[in-house]
Amino acid sequence: MTAFVDILIGGVFHAAVLFLVAAGLQLVFGVQKIVNLACGSFYALGAYFGISAVNWAIAAGMPPQLFLPVLIAAGVVLGVIGPAIELLLRTVYDRDEAFQLLLTFALVLMFQDVLRFFWGANPQQLGNLVMAYGKIEVGEVQIPTYNALVIAASVLIAMAIGAFLQRTRFGRILRATAENREMAQALGVNVRWMYASVFTLGTVLGTVGGALVVPTAAASLDMPVELVVEAFAVVVIGGLGSMRGALAGALVVGIMRALAIRYYAELEMLAIYVVVIAILVARPAGLFGKPVE
Amino acid sequence: MTPLIETTDVRKAYGDFVALDRVSLAISEGELVSIVGPNGAGKTTLVNVLTGLLKPTAGVVRFKGEDIAGIGPVALARRGMARAFQLVHIFPAMTVAETIAVAVISQTGKSLRLFASVKKDAALAARVREVAAIFGLEAKLDDEARLLPQGEKKLLDIASAFALSPEVILLDEPTSGVSTADKHGLMRSVVDAAKRAGVKAIILVEHDMDLVAEYSSRIVALQGGRVLADRAPAQFFADPGIVSVIVGKRVGRLATGG
Amino acid sequence: MMRLALALAAIVALAALPRLISAYYITLVLPAFAYGIALLGFNLLFGYTGLLSFGHALFVAVGAYGAAVLSSKLGVKSFELVLLLSGLAAVLAAVPVALLSVRYVRIFFGILTLAFGMLFHSVLFKFYDLTGGDTGIRVLRPSLLGMDFEKLDKTSFLVGPFYYYCLALLVALAIVMWRVVRSPFGLQLVAIRENPRKAEYLGVRVRFLRFVAFLISAFYCAVGGVILAINTGQADPELAYWTHSGELVFMTVLGGFASFFGPLVGAFTFIFLKSELMGMTQYWRFVLGVILVLIVVLFPRGLVGLVQDVASRASRLVPRAPK
Repeated sequence: MTAFVDILIGGVFHAAVLFLVAAGLQLVFGVQKIVNLACGSFYALGAYFGISAVNWAIAAGMPPQLFLPVLIAAGVVLGVIGPAIELLLRTVYDRDEAFQLLLTFALVLMFQDVLRFFWGANPQQLGNLVMAYGKIEVGEVQIPTYNALVIAASVLIAMAIGAFLQRTRFGRILRATAENREMAQALGVNVRWMYASVFTLGTVLGTVGGALVVPTAAASLDMPVELVVEAFAVVVIGGLGSMRGALAGALVVGIMRALAIRYYAELEMLAIYVVVIAILVARPAGLFGKPVE
Repeated sequence: MTPLIETTDVRKAYGDFVALDRVSLAISEGELVSIVGPNGAGKTTLVNVLTGLLKPTAGVVRFKGEDIAGIGPVALARRGMARAFQLVHIFPAMTVAETIAVAVISQTGKSLRLFASVKKDAALAARVREVAAIFGLEAKLDDEARLLPQGEKKLLDIASAFALSPEVILLDEPTSGVSTADKHGLMRSVVDAAKRAGVKAIILVEHDMDLVAEYSSRIVALQGGRVLADRAPAQFFADPGIVSVIVGKRVGRLATGG
Repeated sequence: MMRLALALAAIVALAALPRLISAYYITLVLPAFAYGIALLGFNLLFGYTGLLSFGHALFVAVGAYGAAVLSSKLGVKSFELVLLLSGLAAVLAAVPVALLSVRYVRIFFGILTLAFGMLFHSVLFKFYDLTGGDTGIRVLRPSLLGMDFEKLDKTSFLVGPFYYYCLALLVALAIVMWRVVRSPFGLQLVAIRENPRKAEYLGVRVRFLRFVAFLISAFYCAVGGVILAINTGQADPELAYWTHSGELVFMTVLGGFASFFGPLVGAFTFIFLKSELMGMTQYWRFVLGVILVLIVVLFPRGLVGLVQDVASRASRLVPRAPK
């Protein structure tokens, strides 16, 4: 039983973090039709910066228990790079997809060395801070409190995004722009500002996701390129452009990964790729995406 | 004479919505049949069934005696039917000659020649020039398609369909977007070209009733997914009932052959 | 004619290179040959057919591992046999990938090929017993045209007979590709790129031709992989990683994907650029990233496109002689 719960919690925790990154990807794809290869780089940036922020905060006298809000704040603060990068992406909005992919690939290359410059080549960790939160007991099982908190936070963010998209005026305008940009523009929507906001939101989701993962995993220079593949698996399984898809895909990938790590480590990512390919073949729109040519 | 292309009791339904209901028509060699009708009457659906894009829910569609339900554009082209669209489709970066050559290559079965040279293929070049000349494009063989004026793009689009040496060609509103002054000129070129290219029958989808009246050997009118009328122009325009449905208030002018 | 003259000049220059520059630089030219061949194939799919694959490094890796397995585990010494068998293996591997991928276009094609590439990487990485895991497999020196060069040390072999063989291979495969892109098949590929729907209506078997182009590109990539592997003496899983596929695209666009010679120019430029940058700074990836940004934003037709633009502007400046 404990093994089952461990896998479930581990899987759902990983899914929670993946969801944030995937949600960012889906938002940006939905509105700007760009697939951001640099989503993993934002994630890694959030991870590294999160570690530094917590270390600074503790050195400045903060009690270690407050590290979770610090991590979230660190992720949010990094959102400032969003508008700057969006300005760069503006040059390729109307161009062939190949150039869009290449531009984001260029960002991946650049971020690799930005991370290396600020944090060096060795993986970084937050040590055992996770223990500061202890574990909660649910019946016979023990769940690390931190994991539970992150899952809860992710669920809250998911609901917030959902409410935002469905109920607020900005959300409606966002969905309209995603459906039909020219029409939205003709109706007076400030598309430029919309694109900048959406991209920044997408960036923040990525950086917060990365920040939240560091108490349980090391930040390393492999993160950016490895995460991209998982994030893509999530959006493919869930369906490009769909928020519900991001949720569903994240759960599938997170739990599959947890199962694979526990029972057959060799198969870990392999199983995920097979599922991705199977889905692309059987139902290219994914679970919730729109049908494709 | 066995019809070149025919549908027998074709029905196409999307759930509860019936797009085509017991549509039967036959087109034989030497005919130019126009399909007319208000928007939503099922013209597009019928055309898609005739050109093998849509499988009918019921009924048969045959081309040269063979069932072509849902065979798709590639197979259709290979069997000898070509289709040109209302919206101009070109290969922007390819020249006029190259565009026409693509069709000729399909038609002569050379698609998998990996090592033969297009430039040195005299037969290909001759055929390309021949087709281009029919449409008055022989001076522009080396011009890129995207640089052509709109009218010539349209001609190129139709010319490339002709290059398939089709037995039947379906023209989907070929004069839409063309100025009134040029419409008749274009239609005449196309009909003449068809004769010279050995096309045996033309199917025309048109809204412009003047053109329909002048060039059709037969008019098929659709309404609500059913065939309302299937007659020669004289009988078609003589029937006020039909004309008011299809044409509206311009009955008077057309009935007098204006 | 101009292009033929330039090409011949380049071949002569390359043939003379071993006498002119140091062995160190020659060992860089070999990867340039390898990537040049790989990119000729890649660009058939990208530049000519309009399909951007983010997983073609998979076939480079098949070539490399083919060479490794054939030479170290199966004792095959003949370079010709290694090339042929590895190429064939790549084509076989490409069949399922292509069958599944050519149904989709644009971003879905890119993601699907990326997934296949990473699937292969995963297999190479995880199945330690078969593939040597993350260390990979050694690649032994082959015999060229039946001749063993055992007396030569590694470097002398690479910069001597192997160099000339690979140059000849590059020229031969380039001629073959030249004919392919100028064939009826090649013309229909361009039609598919320009307007797949219209191409269908003109009787072009879009999916089938894309499939064939994919297989050809896989073969070329594998040949490149074989040369790379013999040069380094090792086949390792990172060859299949998606960022390596990204580099293939980078090189192609750097040289110019809209031109036949663009990818070749791109391969040579990238290899030398990367090597020089690595010597100058540890942040060479950043510089490469900036260069890619500049290409995408300012010079999308790559170096060849740039030269063509400059040349056409220059020719307009030169006053023509009065007739």
